[in-house]
Amino acid sequence: MAGIGIVIAILVTLVAVLIPWLPTSASEQMDRIEFVYWFATVICIAVFALVMAVLLYSVMAFRSPPEDESDGPPIHGNTGLEIAWTVVPAILVIAIGVLSAFVLSKNGEAGPNPLNVKVFAQQFAWRFVYPDDGGLKSGELVLPLDRTVKFEMESADVIHSFWIPDMGQKQDLVPGITTSIIVTPTRTGMFSLVCTELCGVGHATMRATVRVLSQDDFAAWVKERKSGGGKPNAGAAIFAGAGCGGCHTFTPAGSNGEIGPGLDDIVSVAQKAGRDPAEFVREAIVEPGKVITPGYQDGVMPPNYGETLSPEEIDALVAYVTGAKK
Amino acid sequence: MSVIEHTSHDAGHGSGAPPNRRNILMRPGFVRAAWCFALFFLVGLYLVAGIRWLAGWDPVYDWNIIVLVGGLTLAPIGFLLGLGSFDYWLYWISGRPTIPDDHANHGAHTWKDYFKVNTDHKVIGVQYLVTTFIFFTLGGLMAMLFRAELAQPGMQFMDNQTYNGLVSMHAALMIFVFIIPAFAGLANFAVPLMLGAPDMAFPRLNALSFWFLPIAGTMFLCSFLAPGGAFATGWTSYAPLASEQPIGQIFFNMGVQWAGASSILTALNFLVTIITMRAPGMTFWRMPLLVWANFTTSLLVVIATPFIAGSQFFVMFDRIMHTSFFVPADGGYVLGYQHIFWFYSHPAVYIMILPGFGIISEIISVMSRKPIFGYRLMAMSLLGILVLGFSVWAHHMFVAGMADWLRVPMMISTLLIAVPTGVKVFSWLATLWEGRIKLNTPMLFSLGFISMFVIGGLSGIYLASVPITIHASDTYFIVAHIHYVLFGGSVLTVFAGIYYWFPKMTGRMYNERLGKLHFWLTFISFNLTFFPMHWVGLVGMPRRVADYSDRFADLNLFVTISSFALGASVVVFFYNMIVSWARGPIAESNPWRAMTLEWQVSSPPPIFNFDEIPQVVGGPYEYGVPGARHAILTGGGTPAAKEAHA
Amino acid sequence: MSAHAEALHGGDHHGPPPANQSSRIAPTILGMFLFIGTEAMLFGSFFAAYFFVRVVNPDAPSTWPPAPNEFPQFVAGINTAILVTSSFTMHWALQSIKRNNRRGLQAGLLLTILMGTAFLLTQFIEYAHIGFNTSDGAFASVFFGLTGLHGAHVLVGLLLLTFAANRAFRGHYSPEHHHGVELPGIYWHFVDVMWIVVYVTVYLI
Ligand code: HEA
Ligand code: HEA
Ligand code: HEC
Ligand code: CUA
Ligand SMILES: [Cu+2]
Repeated sequence: MAGIGIVIAILVTLVAVLIPWLPTSASEQMDRIEFVYWFATVICIAVFALVMAVLLYSVMAFRSPPEDESDGPPIHGNTGLEIAWTVVPAILVIAIGVLSAFVLSKNGEAGPNPLNVKVFAQQFAWRFVYPDDGGLKSGELVLPLDRTVKFEMESADVIHSFWIPDMGQKQDLVPGITTSIIVTPTRTGMFSLVCTELCGVGHATMRATVRVLSQDDFAAWVKERKSGGGKPNAGAAIFAGAGCGGCHTFTPAGSNGEIGPGLDDIVSVAQKAGRDPAEFVREAIVEPGKVITPGYQDGVMPPNYGETLSPEEIDALVAYVTGAKK
Repeated sequence: MSVIEHTSHDAGHGSGAPPNRRNILMRPGFVRAAWCFALFFLVGLYLVAGIRWLAGWDPVYDWNIIVLVGGLTLAPIGFLLGLGSFDYWLYWISGRPTIPDDHANHGAHTWKDYFKVNTDHKVIGVQYLVTTFIFFTLGGLMAMLFRAELAQPGMQFMDNQTYNGLVSMHAALMIFVFIIPAFAGLANFAVPLMLGAPDMAFPRLNALSFWFLPIAGTMFLCSFLAPGGAFATGWTSYAPLASEQPIGQIFFNMGVQWAGASSILTALNFLVTIITMRAPGMTFWRMPLLVWANFTTSLLVVIATPFIAGSQFFVMFDRIMHTSFFVPADGGYVLGYQHIFWFYSHPAVYIMILPGFGIISEIISVMSRKPIFGYRLMAMSLLGILVLGFSVWAHHMFVAGMADWLRVPMMISTLLIAVPTGVKVFSWLATLWEGRIKLNTPMLFSLGFISMFVIGGLSGIYLASVPITIHASDTYFIVAHIHYVLFGGSVLTVFAGIYYWFPKMTGRMYNERLGKLHFWLTFISFNLTFFPMHWVGLVGMPRRVADYSDRFADLNLFVTISSFALGASVVVFFYNMIVSWARGPIAESNPWRAMTLEWQVSSPPPIFNFDEIPQVVGGPYEYGVPGARHAILTGGGTPAAKEAHA
Repeated sequence: MSAHAEALHGGDHHGPPPANQSSRIAPTILGMFLFIGTEAMLFGSFFAAYFFVRVVNPDAPSTWPPAPNEFPQFVAGINTAILVTSSFTMHWALQSIKRNNRRGLQAGLLLTILMGTAFLLTQFIEYAHIGFNTSDGAFASVFFGLTGLHGAHVLVGLLLLTFAANRAFRGHYSPEHHHGVELPGIYWHFVDVMWIVVYVTVYLI
């Protein structure tokens, strides 16, 4: 039986080790989560191998043909064994619990000088605000490497959930309360932020891009965005800040969202529909439910840009999207 | 009708009109049910409209409220009235002599009797099982549809709302009208027999609880017809999303109330039966573990189910009466919904597994020809799970934004549930040890259950650890956990139980080879379908999405194909059941040589179970103990007695 | 299945064997107690909602109810008195039939029904004059939720009592057999106790 147990344990261990079960970690918090994960895995492999070994061995060794009418030995129990299999699992799970509690509190520490980022979610878009950098707004989440970030999160309508798979941490955004979460990125590159709480028709596509930059690049990005960047176009800043790029591909903004229709040839689309491009785009932004682009769904594009953006901002946005130079 | 009931008739019976001579419109049955249904709907419609008109509210015809009051509350009551569920009680409350009890609605004489209000727990048990398996098929076919959509990233066959609707419907059908009542059905059949009782304590209430079920399931399904589509907020139906959805949502809210009422009334019935109707000598420590399991489950149901009723009421109030339970702007508290919902729905997952533990204990002991190992600890661990089960609900809310201090205590109590569960698993293994193992279909399913449930339980251990859940919550890892515990756990026990009691229920034997084929097909395709989901989830695929990132495409295609195989394996089961029921070989009264009471009577059992209540003299699992007996049966109808005479 | 059943029946009346009574408590009474247990849990869920709105919520109002609204403590106090008294008349009705006093049973039931109806009417009038509506905030939601749920229970209790009274006037019940009075009675006491809890938490605290 021990043989079967060892074989099973080896097989399961191979499955556990050879398959890349977790994404490559991109945050300090994820490193710790992985540690708990492996700790639990070792215990689980042992438990599973034990159970399966006894089970398979019994089936092979004690199987009896249907005609055999004899009964097994009338064993009613064994106090020693029963105590053992109550106490040992209790110890094992408590070990998991203690380690988890420890990691949980570690993962909740913001450190002395975190970068604060505010996250706003609504059906079905993300927006980020950097209060430490003069309230800079962005539709894309840009983070500096190796700096602890403290997110403060709010939702305008229903519950959403913030998750960057490679960074592990996840937190719901709940209307009426502010929630928070700590992430320390450890790897530069592009990641994606996904909404993991069912929030309506657009839930599946409620994503945003995350970019982790070295600290210098981050500082440069902040500076560029604050000064309006190399693009002296107010519309561009609003486009980036309102999260349009999360859903729309628009070459001037360098965005490649695929949830809504591409906006590169919006002018010709409007003209084909026999409409004035500016009017067409304004309507699409302020009242997105009025005309639904074929192949797309109503209710996905946030309906309240008319309220969250000022009339001047909308003017600038329309001008930017229709390509009119200001 | 049992004698217990006689004590509650304060007055004797007189003679009333024999029910069958009345014309078809007035006779209890589907015709009367149809017009009562329509009539009650109209009453609801005009009641609502009348009140709104009197109060001067606009619009007078508010369809949200009319559907709720007329369509989903009063019309089903009319249906039940027409079917005859209340006839006896109506006579009773009006003070008229009740219809003399000729047992006309007890026991099944033809197949038509299964479509009537029947008070025989054996008939009700079969009614439950057939109904729940219809809902299982529908729920499963919906899974096939949305799995097809998931075969490729991007949108192919349906839009998001339809997808979410299918997923929600799948889960609602599987949980509320398949798995929970399927266990109630098996227990309905087996528990009174195992206790040595002639029936349940309240046979008419039992019939009524059954008929709530088709109503609940049909109500869920009807939401497909509602404008705006079926409810699409998952089976958890979180506020405030749920209070803003199209009208299909209230079909969920109300369907849950009907299903909940059904399980509460059944649980109450089980508890009273188990406490007051045990045969002489059947002490609590001589009860079969299936009875123990249903005793614990029923306690869970009675205590916890009202909480889900409450949570659904609040959502409906928010929608219909514009209250602000979950509207933060007006002082409501959104997380309140989740606390109240999970205070039921966590215990509910044990409602969905404990009866299965009972079934497995029966089968393992009988098929290993050994007493169950550590009988008392087995019973106590059920109670342990019951108690712990009420202290862990917030493990579904680790990332929900609830109070931080709740996380660690809830994590520890959740982890501790592994201890009583482990006791059960290890005791089953010890029962197998040195047994004379008969590897037939029920036993295969039981062993399959142990191995699959351990995987599901261990993934639960990962989830209990807060840091891991923070990463894994609301991903396909959860979906994998759900199906390992619910399909690999609960559904396999239901299959095991059905094969085990099939000869007793139908009087015929199922086909062993098809049974084994069913097991192996299910076991393999099940693992191929759900095991990869752990992986997809951990590397980043959220649940409840119709569209996903391209990098998960290959695995999802694989899962979809396996899931079709899993669906096909169910066909083998249905074929075996239907053909064997109609033409299978006649079963002996005790094909498994089991000791519990239901096997000591004929297959199927006599109409009132026992001619004389048996005398219990020992434990239920004394296999291998020389000369041991569980019970002594007297009276002519039982095969045991016949053998004794011969 | 049918063949066997008929063979057993043999055409003539064949009743079930008498079940063994394995507990001292009567099944109907136990059933009623368990039912009351689930009812108490239903109230529990409403109290939980109340607790979340008033205590857990970070923006819970500092005064209860939030100004300028007021709960009519006095009227509800009188209502409490009515309902408590009705519990005594209910008790009297039950004691009467135990002593074979049919008049007492009938009078007790009638009085109880009368007081229950008075309670409901008062409650209804209170709603009409209360000055706020279900849509006026979460405090109103829990107020109407709890009192409304309780009101619905009073209504059910009244129905049960009416059935019992109907039978009482038709001459049913005897000192030996009176579960039909006892069960609605237990329910009525529960509704009564529940009201005291609702009154104290919602109106007074
Ligand atoms: C039959 C149903 C069932 C059962 C029995 C369980 C059993 C368990 N579940 Fe599961 N669970 C669900 C059904 C079930 N669950 C469902 C449906 C959901 C999702 C709901 C939704 O959001 O839609 C869910 C979600 C869920 C979550 C929330 C995840 C999230 O959404 O973030 C968690 C977290 O703690 C959890 C934990 C557990 C644990 C610890 C057990 C334990 O009871 C398991 C105990 C068993 C074992 C551990 C195996 C046997 C033991 C041994 C062999 C002893 C030795 C073991 C050790 C030493 C470890 N479950
Ligand atoms: C008892 C409970 C139960 C059972 C048995 C099942 C059975 C199945 N479940 Fe489900 N499932 C849940 C409970 C259950 N599920 C729950 C609670 C959720 C969460 C929902 C939520 O998020 O709110 C869920 C969610 C869920 C998801 C995640 C959806 C999402 O998050 O987007 C998926 C995805 O693959 C899935 C798949 C399946 C499959 C393939 C089966 C198969 O096992 C089904 C097999 C059965 C049949 C197919 C029917 C019978 C077959 C025939 C009559 C033969 C004919 C058919 C063919 C040959 C194709 N389920
Ligand atoms: C959550 C996703 C999402 C976000 C964020 C979003 N949109 Fe859209 N948008 C859509 C979808 C989906 C459609 C197509 C359906 C429709 O017409 O409403 C659309 C349609 C449009 C159209 C009409 C396109 C056409 O071809 O008819 C314009 C113009 C537009 N969006 C501009 C914007 C601008 C500007 C912003 C930012 C202020 C923005 N969108 C933000 C999803 C989004
Ligand atoms: Cu936002 Cu899902
Ligand atoms: Cu749980």
